[in-house]
Formats: sequence, structure tokens, C-alpha cells
Amino acid sequence: MDSERGEKIARAFSDVFEKLAFMFAEPAEKAELPDDPGDAVLARMRFSGHWRGTLELAVPADMCPEIAANVLGLEPDDETAETRGPDALKEVLNVTCGSILTTLAGDQPVFDLSVPEVLTLEPEGWKELLDSEESLAFTVDEHAVVLRFRQQ
Amino acid sequence: MAYNILVVDDSETVRAVIKKTLSLAGVEVGTLYQAGNGQEGLEALKANWIDLVFADINMPVMTGIEMVERMASDGMLKTVPVIIVSTEGSATRIEQLKSAGVSAYIRKPFTPELLRKVVDEVMGARHG
Repeated sequence: MDSERGEKIARAFSDVFEKLAFMFAEPAEKAELPDDPGDAVLARMRFSGHWRGTLELAVPADMCPEIAANVLGLEPDDETAETRGPDALKEVLNVTCGSILTTLAGDQPVFDLSVPEVLTLEPEGWKELLDSEESLAFTVDEHAVVLRFRQQ
Repeated sequence: MAYNILVVDDSETVRAVIKKTLSLAGVEVGTLYQAGNGQEGLEALKANWIDLVFADINMPVMTGIEMVERMASDGMLKTVPVIIVSTEGSATRIEQLKSAGVSAYIRKPFTPELLRKVVDEVMGARHG
């Protein structure tokens, strides 16, 4: 990925995570991230209109309740945080997508965004995502996170 | 003055965030109704007295834009102000929404202060 584009995407992502989930996303070298993070999930959505493509966000499964707790102002062990974890992750992805598209394309083009989905991510899937040229690696409050922005 | 408010979003998390942020912003809420898509939103609007609607754009079954268009063609519902809450940042899209009858647009993530400011502007304009 072009380094300037990568920096813009990373900045947009970090900004969203901080403002929405009060968590600090730091860009990382891919080699620093594990090839197998254990149980992981993938949030994914599509965009179309001015550009077409997908945005994917892979995180360890145990990070989702933490995201939900932060977004909703709950204790991490609150049952609501556990059940709302995937939904909170989808919302982080949703807001990130809007932010990245505006950052890269400006505020005039119109995009249509799909409803995000969350899937279980097998170790092979995590590795494929991590190795992809279009992905970026982060540590978010000590969790390994991978983001992939694909423009067709 | 307390407002009956409808929040239309397919994300439970977002509905909870809007509810919490309304409270933090000091907006007096009478009854808070919730709907998971535009169709459910229309049903809630027809069944209850609602003063203000917050709606997302991208939802399954019926989008926020479709819901607003249906409201605009209904004699009673066209008077209910709608604030779109979305991730999209396109100025073109915002103009499209306002042409369709949307009263205001808030981009996520948003602060309680911004939410309060927009509610005051929309409801203040409504009451003249």
C-alpha cells in the first residue's frame, strides 16, 4: 500500500477508535503481530458509489466486550457488554469506513455503505489478512488488530 | 419541555449511545421509542405521538432515506422533524437529505454538546 495512503487510513482508524471506544490504536509492524491470535472475529462491510470496495477489521474475540463496554460506558464484565460486543465492533467498523472514505475522497463524493457483518475468523483467515498488501497492523490497548481497505 | 423521541437504527449499540448521549446532553426526554429499521420506525410513528426522530441511513428492510420520503408524503408525519445520524461525510449526501426533508445531520462520532446544539436548533426552529 502506498505509504501516504496507509498513513491516512491509519490516522482515520486511530481517531475513530479513540473518539468512539476510548481506546488507543497504534500502528504496528506486521511482524509484531501473532500469526494466530486465538479466537478472532472479522467485521466486514462494502462500499459503493464513487468507489467500490470493502473494509475489514479483524480483532481477538475477547476484545469485543471491551469495545462495547467502552462505547456504552459499562463495566467490562457486564453481561450487556458481552452480548453487545459484536454489534459494537460493527459500529466501530461503520464509523471507520465513513471516516476513511471522507479522508481519501474528500467531502463531495457520495458513497453507499452496506450493513456491516461479523464473522468468526479462522487462523488461516487471520494470516491471509495480515499478509495482505492492502492491510495495516495495529495494537489497540495491547490487542492485535488488522484492518484491510480494498478499493476495486 | 420533554420530547417524545424515536431512535431508528439497526444497531442496538448506536441506539444505546444516542439514548445515553441525550441524557448527558441534558435533553429532556418524555418517552424514548426505538426501532431497528425504517419500516419499524414508520410503525412507531403511526402508533405514538413523537416529537423528534433520530435515524440512521443504512438499515435493512427500509433505509433512513426511504423512511424520510414516506414521512414526507404523509400528511401528519411530514411535520415530524428528522435528524439523520450517520457515518457518511459527503456534503452532497447531506444536501440530498435536506432536499428530501431531513431537518439536520449529525456525523458520528458526536459529542453531547453537538447533539444538544442540533436538537435545540431543530426544535427551536419548529416552535418558531
